[in-house]
Amino acid sequence: MPRIRLGNWAEDVVSWLTRHFSWLFDAVSSVVNHLYDGVEWVLGGPSPLLMAGILAALAFWMRGLPTALAAFAGFALIDGVAQWDQAMQSLSLVVVSAAVALLLAVPLGVWAARSRVASALVRPVLDVMQTLPAFVYLIPAIIFFSLGTVPAVIATIVFAMPVGVRMTELGIRQVDPELVEAADAFGTAPARTLLRVQLPLALPTIMAGVNQVIMLALSMVVIGGMVGAEGLGSTVFGAISQVDIGLGFEGGVSVVVLAVYLDRITGAMGEQVSALGRRTAARARTGGRLRGFAVLRYRPRPAVGLSCVVALALVAAGTGVFGGDGQPSAPVAAGSDVGKGRTVTIGSFNWDESIASANLWKAALDARGFKAAVKTYDPGAAFTGLARGDIDVLTDAWLPTTHAAYLKQYGKDYTDLGKWYERTSLEVAVPSYVKGVTTMADLKGRSKEFGGRIVGIEPGAGEMGLLKDKVLPGYGLDKDYRLVSSSTSGMLAELARDYAARKPVAVVLWSPHWAYSTYHLTKLSDPKSLWGPGDSIHDLANKASAARLPEVSSWMRGFHMTEPQLGSLEAAIQAAGQGNTAQGVRQWVAAHPGVLDTMAPVGAGG
Amino acid sequence: MSKLVAEHVFKVFGRRPKEGVRRIQAGTDRDELRAEGTTAAVIDASFEVQQGEIFVVMGLSGSGKSTLLRTLNGLAQPTSGRVLFDGRDVSSLAAKDLRHLRSHRISMVFQHFALFPHRSVLDNAGYGLEVQGLPRQEREERAAQALELVGLAGWERSWPDELSGGMQQRVGLARALATDADLLLMDESFSALDPLIRRDMQDQLLTLQQRLRKTIVFITHDLNEAMRLGDRIAVMRDGRIVQIGTAQDILVDPASDYVASFVQDVDRSRVLTAASIMQKPPVAVDLSDPQCVTAHTDTPLAELLTPASRTRQPLAVVDDEGRLSGVIARDTLLAALGDQPVKEAHRA
Repeated sequence: MPRIRLGNWAEDVVSWLTRHFSWLFDAVSSVVNHLYDGVEWVLGGPSPLLMAGILAALAFWMRGLPTALAAFAGFALIDGVAQWDQAMQSLSLVVVSAAVALLLAVPLGVWAARSRVASALVRPVLDVMQTLPAFVYLIPAIIFFSLGTVPAVIATIVFAMPVGVRMTELGIRQVDPELVEAADAFGTAPARTLLRVQLPLALPTIMAGVNQVIMLALSMVVIGGMVGAEGLGSTVFGAISQVDIGLGFEGGVSVVVLAVYLDRITGAMGEQVSALGRRTAARARTGGRLRGFAVLRYRPRPAVGLSCVVALALVAAGTGVFGGDGQPSAPVAAGSDVGKGRTVTIGSFNWDESIASANLWKAALDARGFKAAVKTYDPGAAFTGLARGDIDVLTDAWLPTTHAAYLKQYGKDYTDLGKWYERTSLEVAVPSYVKGVTTMADLKGRSKEFGGRIVGIEPGAGEMGLLKDKVLPGYGLDKDYRLVSSSTSGMLAELARDYAARKPVAVVLWSPHWAYSTYHLTKLSDPKSLWGPGDSIHDLANKASAARLPEVSSWMRGFHMTEPQLGSLEAAIQAAGQGNTAQGVRQWVAAHPGVLDTMAPVGAGG
Repeated sequence: MSKLVAEHVFKVFGRRPKEGVRRIQAGTDRDELRAEGTTAAVIDASFEVQQGEIFVVMGLSGSGKSTLLRTLNGLAQPTSGRVLFDGRDVSSLAAKDLRHLRSHRISMVFQHFALFPHRSVLDNAGYGLEVQGLPRQEREERAAQALELVGLAGWERSWPDELSGGMQQRVGLARALATDADLLLMDESFSALDPLIRRDMQDQLLTLQQRLRKTIVFITHDLNEAMRLGDRIAVMRDGRIVQIGTAQDILVDPASDYVASFVQDVDRSRVLTAASIMQKPPVAVDLSDPQCVTAHTDTPLAELLTPASRTRQPLAVVDDEGRLSGVIARDTLLAALGDQPVKEAHRA
């Protein structure tokens, strides 16, 4: 069988599309961005408790008092775990994605229901949309639509839309044919039959589809976080990559609250919007379980419910909390305002030295009058964004090995600002309480102690391949040890578990890594030099950005950090806790006077 | 001129319907065609329906009667032949004209009622008027009148699923009557109802018909229903109309063994009337003779038995004006109630 270059063709199509349709993608991008900003401005504007009240009033209107109370409690909880802004961002993303998805899905479903050919055409496309792993089209989506909310919205639409199409088609097809014939027999025109008979009767099924679209959209929130969409997704994504169980739980619970709320509300809407649904609900209520508790059964009439929601919204508007300003920026010392408010977007991924260096630079640039923002992405997304110019600088490029693929692909769009950290290394590490193991060779013959395994990271990581194909055979360990693939967070969780139990464990690790400052670990040395020379960490800039921000480029070219410096910075950030990165950086800067001047010298004497 | 005429109507389903018609005309058997995947649902159906007549098409399931009905309002296009309604060829109408015809002139009542579950009883009854484009107020007035006509006054605000089957079908009937169509197509309209309710509905239809004088084509598989309702009956078998005639024609003179076997279980005493078995009076009958017992021409045989038992003389049969039409001897009466068709009894 010859190798079919399907992948190459796909790449060609993507680059062809990028060349010829960038105007279209930019237009879509701009529309989606405005939609999202608008919705987010409305949802995120009011103070959390007021907004929780509005959402609870909506629940009261749709389902009654118990749901309203539960909704309020749930949203108060989200606010309580400091995930409010993220939750509203996620909610906005879901609202926009679901709205667009439905706008496309319902007409498509109608079309498919009325034409066998359309149905046959649409079905395989829907199959692909539903089953193609999101990551496969996320990267092209970034290339088309740039980093941030838009690719997340697009990916969500792709994922959530099919069920809307299918349910619409199903709903219309399952309308009793005798009813359609009756409409026909009374001389109803086809379009009118659709609007007055088929759609109303299909509405309960279509609304079940709406509900599913919204739930699926919400389930894409975490994946959206990987391409830089703000919201609970980035909270959860960040927490996962740092094995921050507590924060992950808080983010996860917030997602659940949103999910349950959206499910109940759209479920109730399904009952309310169709005449059939209202009749069913009315019958169910007369025989309901809550008989005798009139308060629990009470549901305001639409007029009352709507005015409740509107009144609260007006209060929200009246208190002037809509569009409230962000945090005031730190004062910039006189004479050091080099940035004059120019914006710098610093990309980072959830690697500790990446977070540390990106946030350190944010602190330095803010102090010099720039408006710097750190955005966190999945590495693939970050490198793509850097090539497009969505990101100005990326502080964590491991070269020449680890990130070589990105440089090969996008190298012409990058300016390399040089290395700031030497030298990283790849290694296997064991806890220091495991005595007598300091080199790779020492592992020989002790496989029983380690359970015959080395705990690895993602199977696709370069380090894993190197270890498996070269290092383990080189030390004759490939028979005794099995290299277990998991994920970075999985490996760290395993390390934490075994470390707490003082059990021998061997893990795949690299330096710099915060694990070395958190645990007492021994890096196993590599006398045969099979791991090869380590990478250096480079600052990369987008070519155009480097030209736009010459000061930043020159500062970064002169920047260096030592392992103790970096280690202490990471430790300071770790100590400050999640969400307080900036504070951790400030403390570290305060403990290292003069560091900002070294990084970003001002004036001739700088 | 007849209100409705069907001329050699064929309806063939399958991949090459025209070809199917040609082969049937050339004598190919229907079952042979079906084995090849072509279904001849209606074969060479011709009939005329007069203004104000109830024309019943009766046949077992699969005999093609529902398909035939649907060719009459264009829901199914005849593969060959044509349907004339008031002299206009229904199958050649443009889609828009066909819709106008259906919304104004021909309405339909369905087997399973086909009420719209998302509309109130009133809105269901007014559906055809809504399609006609009448303003709401007029539509609702006329729909309410139609509901009153079928005995459902006071149920306007109810929902279809709150009504019993019989009441639902009355709504179906009201919907068909409200548009003031002059042709009513009724597709097994009472078949889904309980026997007692079915009888009520048949009575109600007959009562309404006396007032409204619509032209009605009524499909049924129930011979007793056909006999009760039909001014004339077309019997269908395997896609063909095998006999058309009044109930008595069919009972007295079945066109084939099939029809004869079909009608053998019918309660003759209730269908046959005095007129159908009376004979020319052999001698003048003195109607003023107190011994003379008279019966009306329309009296069912069942109601002749008691009078016949009171006299040895033949019964005198009189018409609406009280004039002598014929006589019925006791042996004639008894033979007519027997198993054999009446013709043979006469010959014996």
